[in-house]
Amino acid sequence: MGIRQGGFQRKSKASDEIPSSSMADIAFLLLIFFMVTTVFQEDKDRPIDWAQAEATKKIDEKKKDILNIWVERDGSVWMNDRLFAMEEITPVIAPMYAASDRRMLISIRADREVAYLQIDQLQKQLVAAGVVRVVFATELERRMTRERR
Amino acid sequence: MAVLNNKKSKVNDEIPSASMADIAFLLLIFFLVTTVFPKDSGLAIVLPEEAEIVEVSQKNILHIIIQPTGIVDLKRGESTQVQQVRPSDIESIWRQAVAENPLLIAAVKTHPDASYKFMIDVLDALHLAGAIRVSLQLFEG
Repeated sequence: MGIRQGGFQRKSKASDEIPSSSMADIAFLLLIFFMVTTVFQEDKDRPIDWAQAEATKKIDEKKKDILNIWVERDGSVWMNDRLFAMEEITPVIAPMYAASDRRMLISIRADREVAYLQIDQLQKQLVAAGVVRVVFATELERRMTRERR
Repeated sequence: MAVLNNKKSKVNDEIPSASMADIAFLLLIFFLVTTVFPKDSGLAIVLPEEAEIVEVSQKNILHIIIQPTGIVDLKRGESTQVQQVRPSDIESIWRQAVAENPLLIAAVKTHPDASYKFMIDVLDALHLAGAIRVSLQLFEG
């Protein structure tokens, strides 16, 4: 047959391997893409001195269900990087709490020197908004630091 | 001699790049697995529902009054006797008191001018002692 003797038996000179040298570039591209696009937290930390407690426990709750309310030493209240007046908290929190399917947890992050009156007012605002699950965010205190005091 | 020097090496002089991807993925997976995000931590409490007023017999209440100076006054139920303690003493006091009366409720009354940290110290001691029935109030009068 003419076919067997013809050009069909000629070997192709093109490489049949997938070029693997750019695989690393693809991997790094993915790595850098996800590093850049990942957002961890919506609100920035406010400058406060944390209260310390020995009984500090980790909160087993999804990050998106936790709302941080910051109370600074001067008594100003911050939520999601915005300053709020104390009376504004109930009307702001109530719809957020309803939207979260009543799963929202409030993390009160107050400066250790803030007067308790502020915290009490904040609690009353939260109760009026229907929120019941609250965490007083604290740093874990070791017995060593307590004894030094 | 000259013959020897002219001989070309047959060893490939390129760094093998096929395994670079594996190294990159190894690093990626290593950091994915070892990254620990700081978890929120604190003292969890449950606030009362609005308009939820529960009448409690005075004999089941341990009044813990926090003064602006950080001194804690203890008042048991109906008695007018006031005992001054440090926040760190409350843990053992609570354990003892709750063993005598399992229905005991801690009423933490903080003076409006007292620092938040004093209230946290008391709440911390109560949490350490395993107290669940805690009421946070503002001290009036």
